[in-house]
Parts: sequence; C-alpha cells; structure tokens
Amino acid sequence: MRKPLTILAAAAVSTFAVAQSAMAEFPERNIEDIYPWGPGATMGVSQIIADAMGDELGVNVSVVSTPGAAGTKAFKTAMERPADGYTLFDGYVAPLVLQPLLGKADWTYKDFVPLWSGTSNAFAIVVRADEDRFDDFEGFVKYAQENPGKMRYTTGGTGNLPHMVLAKVMQTSNIVAKPVPYPEMQDGVKDLRGGVLDFLTSNPGFYKTNKDHLKVIAVLSELDAASEVYDGAPRVMDFGVDLGMSGLAPMGWNWWLVKKGTPEDVVEKLRTAMGAAVNDPEVKEKILNVGFVPLGYSPDQYDEIVAPVAEQLQSGIDAIAWEKEQLDALK
Amino acid sequence: MELLTTGASLFLSPLTVFLTAAGCFLGLMIGVLPGLGPLMGIILLLPVAFHLEPVAGMGLLIAVYVGGSCGGAISAILLRIPGTPLAAATLLDGYPMARNGRAQDAIGIAISASAIGGLIGGAVLIFFSPFLAEFALSFAPPEYFAMTLLGLMAIVVVARESAVKGFITGAFGLLLATIGTDDFTNAYRFTFGTHNLYNGFHIVAIVVGLFGISEVIYQIRGGSFLTKPDIPPVRAPFRALGIVSRHVPNLVRSSLLGSTFGALPGAGGVISAFTAYAIAKARPKRGEVYGEGAEGGVVATESANNACCGGALIPTLSLGIPGDGSTAVLMAALFLLGFFPGPELFEYNADVAGGIFLAYMSSNLFLLVLGVVLTPVFVSVLRLRKAFLIPAVMLLSTVGVFAIQSAVFDLWVMFGFGIVGYFLRRADYPLAPIVMGAILGPICEANFRRSLLISDDGMWIFLQRPISATILAVVALLAAVIVFRAVRRSVDPERAPVV
Repeated sequence: MRKPLTILAAAAVSTFAVAQSAMAEFPERNIEDIYPWGPGATMGVSQIIADAMGDELGVNVSVVSTPGAAGTKAFKTAMERPADGYTLFDGYVAPLVLQPLLGKADWTYKDFVPLWSGTSNAFAIVVRADEDRFDDFEGFVKYAQENPGKMRYTTGGTGNLPHMVLAKVMQTSNIVAKPVPYPEMQDGVKDLRGGVLDFLTSNPGFYKTNKDHLKVIAVLSELDAASEVYDGAPRVMDFGVDLGMSGLAPMGWNWWLVKKGTPEDVVEKLRTAMGAAVNDPEVKEKILNVGFVPLGYSPDQYDEIVAPVAEQLQSGIDAIAWEKEQLDALK
Repeated sequence: MELLTTGASLFLSPLTVFLTAAGCFLGLMIGVLPGLGPLMGIILLLPVAFHLEPVAGMGLLIAVYVGGSCGGAISAILLRIPGTPLAAATLLDGYPMARNGRAQDAIGIAISASAIGGLIGGAVLIFFSPFLAEFALSFAPPEYFAMTLLGLMAIVVVARESAVKGFITGAFGLLLATIGTDDFTNAYRFTFGTHNLYNGFHIVAIVVGLFGISEVIYQIRGGSFLTKPDIPPVRAPFRALGIVSRHVPNLVRSSLLGSTFGALPGAGGVISAFTAYAIAKARPKRGEVYGEGAEGGVVATESANNACCGGALIPTLSLGIPGDGSTAVLMAALFLLGFFPGPELFEYNADVAGGIFLAYMSSNLFLLVLGVVLTPVFVSVLRLRKAFLIPAVMLLSTVGVFAIQSAVFDLWVMFGFGIVGYFLRRADYPLAPIVMGAILGPICEANFRRSLLISDDGMWIFLQRPISATILAVVALLAAVIVFRAVRRSVDPERAPVV
C-alpha cells in the first residue's frame, strides 16, 4: 500500500509543479542576447540596451558573445534554443540579411519575430591625418586612378558590409585597390597608423578613439546624422558619387529578434520592455556618446525598413565581384 | 608623475579604493574557477561598472583583470587545471611544486611574482607608454609572423619530455588552429557541416580538457578515493616574498618581457608566459630542474602574465587599440563611461587617466595582500578526499566552460580533449605545446598571408623590414643551436644537455 501512496503523492506534487510553471509569469530567469561578434565597443552598446531592458523585465539580460562565420554561428546557436523568449537574436545586418544573400545562410529576415531596432553606425573612408598625397575625396580618387591596384585598404573582414559599400563606391568612381582582411579591425587601424595600409573604412568608435590621427575622406551614407557623427565630414554624395544605396543599406545596424513560435504574450512583454529601454533618453544619450545612433524603429516597421536593405545590398555583392575581376586583370 | 597626482583626487575616495580591492578579490575567485578568466569577469561586472563614477568603475574592472590574470595560477598549481589559458605555463613547475609538498610556496610565489610583475608592468605603463605605443605601431604583419615563429620555437624548450614529441604535439595544436572559418576567403575549414566549429574549438575548452579532465582521469585511476590527504596546516606564506627576491633577474626580465609583449596588440599573455619560461629554463639557477618544481618557472610565467596586463593597457589607453579581448571590453567600458582612450584622454582628462593608472597599481598591491592572506584557504582544497575533490573539479570545470558561450558543444570538446590529454600524457607527450600551437597558429597564419598580400615583392618582405629580419635571424640561430645540440646528443649522449 505504501508504494502506490508514494506514487500518488509524487504525481500530485509534479502536477502542482507543472501547473505552477504554466501559471508562472515570464520571465522567471535570466535572458540571453546572442551577440554575433567578439567583445568590444559594439558589444558594449548591446549591453546598454540589455541592461535597460533587464531593468524593465526584472531579470538580468546578458549579452553572450558568439562570434564565427560572419555572425551566422550566433544565429544558428540561437535557433537551436527553444522559442520561449529566453534567447534573443542580436540581429546584425550581416547574419540577418547579408549572409543569406551570399548563400551562406538558409534563412531570410522574414523567418524571425522582430522586437525593436537597436542602433546604426555609418562607415567612413579614413586615411592618416598626415596623409599628403591627397586632401579630399576627389584627390583620393585621382591618386587611386593613377595607381590602380597599388593602394591597400581594409574593411575588417572580407566580403563584409563595409567592403560591399566601399567596393560600390570604388566601382562607381572607377578605382581599384587591394583589400587586406583584418578580422580584428583594431589591428587594421594600427596598421593604417603604422603606414602599412593607405585607407580603411572606420566605424564611429574607431574614429572617436583615433580622431587626432585620422582624416575622414568621405562618409559612406547619405544621412546628415551620419556626417555629424564624423564631425561634419562630407558624404560621398557631396562629391557627386551615387552610392546606389540609401537609408540603412550602407550602414551597420541591428534589430533584436526572437524565434518564430515564441508565445505572443512573451513577445509582447519583450517588445514593451525593449521599447521602453530604447526610448529612454538616458539610454539614447549613452549610445550616442559611443558614436552609435539609436534607431528607434518599432516592431511593425520591420518589413518596411529591412526589405529595401536586402534589395540594395545585391549591388554591393556585385561590386565586390567587379573588384576581384579588376585586381585579377592587373596581376 | 604629474598624471598620478592629478589622478589621486579621483582614485582616493573610499568607494573607489574599496571597489578596487573587491574587484581584485572577485577577479582572483573568477580566475581560480576553471574556464572563467579575466575576460568573463570583466563582462560579468560591466553592468555594475556602468553605474559608477568613471575611475571607480574602471578601477573595479581593472582590478578584476589583474586578479583574474593571476587567479588561474592557483588552480593550475593545486589541481593541474589552469583556471585560464594564461596559467597553462605556470603548471609546468607549479604543479610539481605542489606534488612535492610545496603548494603553499608555489601559490605564494605565483601571487608575489604576479603582483611584482604587475607593478613593474605598471611602471612601464606610466613611464614608457608613448615609446612603447610608437614601437607597437612599427609592428606590422611581417613582424608578427616572425614573432610567432619565435614563440613556436619555445615549444622545444617547454617540451620537457622530448623536443620531437613537443614538435608533434605543437603541430597538433597548429592543426587544431586551422579549424573554423578562414578569415581571408570566408571558406569553412574542417567544420564538417556543424556551425559549432565555425569559429574553431574554444581555447578554454581545449585547455581545461587537456589539463583538467585528463588529471581527473589520472586521479580516478589512482584510486584511494576516501583516503584523507596528509597536508599539514599552512599559514600565510609571507616568506614567498623572500623566495621571489632570490629570483630578481628572472623576475625583472620576465616582467619586462611581459610588458613588451603586452604592448603589442594581439601578442598576449600566453606567448609572454611561455617565452619567459623558455628563457628562464635556458638560464636555470644552480640546482633548479625545470619541469620538476623549479621556483624560477613559476616566477617567470606569473610575473610575465601580470606585467602583460600593464603592457596591454598601453596600446589600449595610448592608441585606442586594445591588445586582447579583456582590454577590448575595458576600452568599451571606458567609452560607455563617457571617455575615449587615446592621447586626448591624457590631454583633456588627465585626472581620469591618472586615476586608472593608480587603480592598476593598487590592484597589484591588493593582489599581493589578498593572495597571501587567502593562500591557506586555497591550499585547504588539497585536504579534500578525492571522493569530494574529483566531483567538485568536474562540476567547476563544466560550469566554467559552459559559461563562456552557453554552449553544450564546448563541454563535449572539453571531455574529448580530456581523453586525448590523458592518452598523450600516458605516452609522455607534452601538452603545453598544443596550447601554444592552437594560440599561435591563427596569428602566425593570418600574418603570413597578410604579409604576402601587402608585399610587392613576395616573400622578400620578411627580410626587407629590419625588425622582421632581425627576429627571423634569431629564429634561424635558435633553430641551428637546437639542431646542433640534438645532433651532438645523438653522437655523445653524455655531454650534450637536453634542450
């Protein structure tokens, strides 16, 4: 008799536990934001949002650096987790839009449920402050045309977003230079300052830390706000160059996402918390101080904003192929 | 010095001093746990630092950096598990010291050498920042390639068992380094279709597996699970300072080496620790046998490790170019606290820069005091019966490695390398060269390929640049000496020393 009673008691306890769990309020434990790059300033910006979001939700939101394969490792890692809202995708444009376009990922941006957009950062072509071969973008183009394939530059990794944007500018301006990959962009900045490289695409963080040693040749965005981040430096369009990309397309940006199938009430809670976080003036100010621009796009603007980016980036992919052809022809 | 006096006004507040001490304690604890190193400690405390005054926040994080860089040595010495890859070189002599009943001395030496090395690194940071920052800028891909070759030569010295076996395991480490996504072509290499390998094996999972799990297997095979180890009670080992003072040339040399390597972005503490060890081993004190518990081995690796922290802050603060993951997060923290590293920091916010320098120096002093006071607590771990110690080690290793990326795959990697490590040890193959190969491999390969990309004359670029050519000449000379000694040993085994 004793055994059935024990089983009954155990069943009652587990039923109670299951009922408790079903009734429990989300979130009951810490949430993880799967961040696709290595630690650094950009991760710090995600941490600002995560902290503010955690304050709203009453739990800790930690940013987990999971670098690899241009961000796709982070996406695949997050995809393996349950659709319960405890795992967020730090949806950077590279793994979200670019890698699928390159055939390196089998998802599209439509396969995720958007929360709020995070931040954006525009790129700029920078050279050493004491560069005396040219003073401005026009001089830079003229020098590069006279020395085809001789100048060396980096955009960080190869085939990444800044590489596409820069290749597009070079294609439009009919110039070609040699790309040198540096997975850690800070090493590229060091080698630019050391004289190994001739120019690179900087983000606002690197520009701010090396301001006195760098000169901005042109900002790779049509937006006035992007120019302001680089202390009012001219944009490529100011020199009559059609970038062929607009809005967010030529910029780095992220949109926080969750997996499809996440319960609606959980998504709603996350959206409310993130909305409050990214619209908090104090959070915005902290992000701006680092040189990033808070985007503030709401979940319902996701399709409207992201779809054109996907379309426009194809021209950047074609520009990289053009660059390779030109360099091969020069060999 | 003016910088320090300016910074004192910000640093010398009770809260900042307390947070620096607390950060050092937390760093030590985090470093002791297998898998969790200074980087993880800094990331964990980043949210706390955001809410503090700049110098208090940076003081907390820098203290975690300093404490965490040393803490790994304690588990390396006591359990043969390097808490961090930084401590992989420390166990070469630290663990044998503990096995010889000198755990207390080994920990005392490790902490004292770390603290003194850190202070020397701090002095270099304060007085030679501009010079070393300029020097770092002259290091381009050809120089990094040459330097990694020099680091790989250290494998021969580190490989106590046999140079040939060292080369074999070193080559295994280099092969491991090829796994992942190729940064130059974005091609997947040996990933076998799994995204878990897109960034290769995590170095911490490799290190904890190779050393920690293999040791656990050894201990299990050794039996006597319920025997209480006979470890006499220990007191705070203040005499460790006296022991370290007998190794002043080694201490100063290793610290300066650590500072210099630290100042080169990307070179890192692991290379400096192994190189300092190799040099110390090549110049042993009378009666010291490296690999069997030589005090000089612990002095060299730990002073180099922590001096490297000071060195790594040089490009971070002076150039805005972080040297490794930990300093990248420290720089991000400085950003988020509203300050930008670089010459402007020293010019316009000298008080903050001075405060950060003081926080770094104080962290090393706190490390010395805390480390010495806490040594009896650490050593008490050795009094645990195996039946408790082994499960505890397994649990801590598992939690530590899982915490890095919240990835179960890393745990499989750790256990896999544990088994590999066990069999390699049984066959007398050294494990440290695997770590060196795995860490140096990507730096070596990337800089070789990058050098060829920037070169207009192919391979000649390595000889056209003076620094690169000099380092390569040293590498060639070392290789010649090693081959010469090996040949001489094979001809007359009595005369030639083991390299």
